[in-house]
Amino acid sequence: MAIAAGRAIPGVAFRAARAGVTDSVERARAGDEGAFAELYREHAGRVYALCLRLTGDRGAAEERMQDVFIRAWERLRTFRGESAFSSWLHRLAVNVVLAERRASLRRELRVLPAGEPERLERAGDAPREGAGVDLEGAIAALPAGARAVFVLHDVEGYAHEEIGNLLGIAAGTSKAQLFRARRLLRERLER
Amino acid sequence: MKHPEREVELNEYADGSITPEARRELERHLAECPACARDLERLRDLLRGASLLPRGIAPPRDRAGAIAAEIARRRVMRRRTAGVGLAAAAGVALFLTFGRNRAGAGWTVERVAGAPRIGSATLETGGRVAVGQWLETDDTSSALLDVGAIGQVDVRPGTRLQLVAARPDDHRLSLIRGTISAHVDAPPRIFSVETPAGTAVDLGCAYTLTVDSLGRGLIRVTGGYVEFDWLGRRSVVPMGAFALTRPRAGPGTPFVDDAPQPLRRALLAFDFGDGGAAAARAVLASARREDAITLWHLLPRVDGTLRRAVYERLARFDPPPAGVTEPGVLALDSAMSERWWKEIRRAEWRRVVLRGVQKK
Repeated sequence: MAIAAGRAIPGVAFRAARAGVTDSVERARAGDEGAFAELYREHAGRVYALCLRLTGDRGAAEERMQDVFIRAWERLRTFRGESAFSSWLHRLAVNVVLAERRASLRRELRVLPAGEPERLERAGDAPREGAGVDLEGAIAALPAGARAVFVLHDVEGYAHEEIGNLLGIAAGTSKAQLFRARRLLRERLER
Repeated sequence: MKHPEREVELNEYADGSITPEARRELERHLAECPACARDLERLRDLLRGASLLPRGIAPPRDRAGAIAAEIARRRVMRRRTAGVGLAAAAGVALFLTFGRNRAGAGWTVERVAGAPRIGSATLETGGRVAVGQWLETDDTSSALLDVGAIGQVDVRPGTRLQLVAARPDDHRLSLIRGTISAHVDAPPRIFSVETPAGTAVDLGCAYTLTVDSLGRGLIRVTGGYVEFDWLGRRSVVPMGAFALTRPRAGPGTPFVDDAPQPLRRALLAFDFGDGGAAAARAVLASARREDAITLWHLLPRVDGTLRRAVYERLARFDPPPAGVTEPGVLALDSAMSERWWKEIRRAEWRRVVLRGVQKK
């Protein structure tokens, strides 16, 4: 469906006036796959960066990014526009990555022989090129729990209470994990 | 860190979440302790670095096509489910109206051993599986399913599958667990089997497919070719080759049945573990001429430097045909890639057939 720029469409202008609802979002919500492709182009980099930093693994990050956009398409009708679309998508991405991490931990716990719990805290691989090479690499090498808290707090700006809710841990535990992550990062970067 | 007991306070100070009293006390300490002052500076450097990280990173591959395909697939699945429901409702309506039921599309099935079940009914000798129905064999039973008029599926013990489509242009099963052996004689892409790790699409072939209770699978092709797809990840498995499959990862890189153990282990780590580039190098190190199909599949799955190494090894074993250039292959030119594949699979076919003749 093509909509001419500036053309008044009854209902659309009023709905689009809400803070987070852009024209692309509105059209995608109405089932326009072309508009959804525009949203993908606009937000893929941000979602991929978040997935990459949370997983520490390029392949997993690509998969999660794909999951996020498929989930976004399926849930677009529940997006009310109270926040920016990017914030809504961002929160969805965090939930998708963390849900997969929990599922993956459950799968590993089922098959791991006793005495190998350290494998559950394994480090990921890293984005080695581009700006912030050392820090990106060090973040990817963090244990999974510490990495998630560092990325959500220090990179994405989430508060400990929010992180606690997302990860199913106490806010105090989130704080302890954050300080541990910062210590590990400094040790690695100052080597 | 000279004073590890100060770690929490330093972090809270850097975050601005420290209490006024603790702040005053820490600032007095910082004035007297250069080591802690340096620690604070390094901590702030780290936080500054984190805040300066790029907000976006371009994904290595454009996933728009794969996302659109998955959305379309889910839409079709929903329509199918709704269609089955509507068909059932329509069947009931017809029964009530005309006093007789109407048989839907389906495939005939014969009991081979034990007591296979179609839905909740036990199969005595033979019967029919309708679209949407489940066929299940326990540890002591097996069955033979006709794929319309184009082939047969041997349903081994411990298998659960569903007939998803039975149209002339779409013969489709869903294999949840167990083992099937399929023999199909039809144009490519008419028969397919969905599994938790992707879909096996028949390209004119015979194969055995096993899926375990976790959805992990193994396909072994005994004639022709099978294409295994999962969200755009594709493996073409030729006669005499295997591929492992995993949920959320799709098909692994195919390997021939006499591939060396180190190569198989490295592939497992590369495809489904944390092996990464090191595992890809291990594959290269143990690859023989006979492993050309594995190397061809590796080309799009590794990045720049490694891709060149894979190209060089593969070109040494199976030189690319005229018109297929190194820059084209390294840029993943699909036409060149397919031309080279035709040469490789011809060579592999000759090798497998010749080996079969020599054994006789």
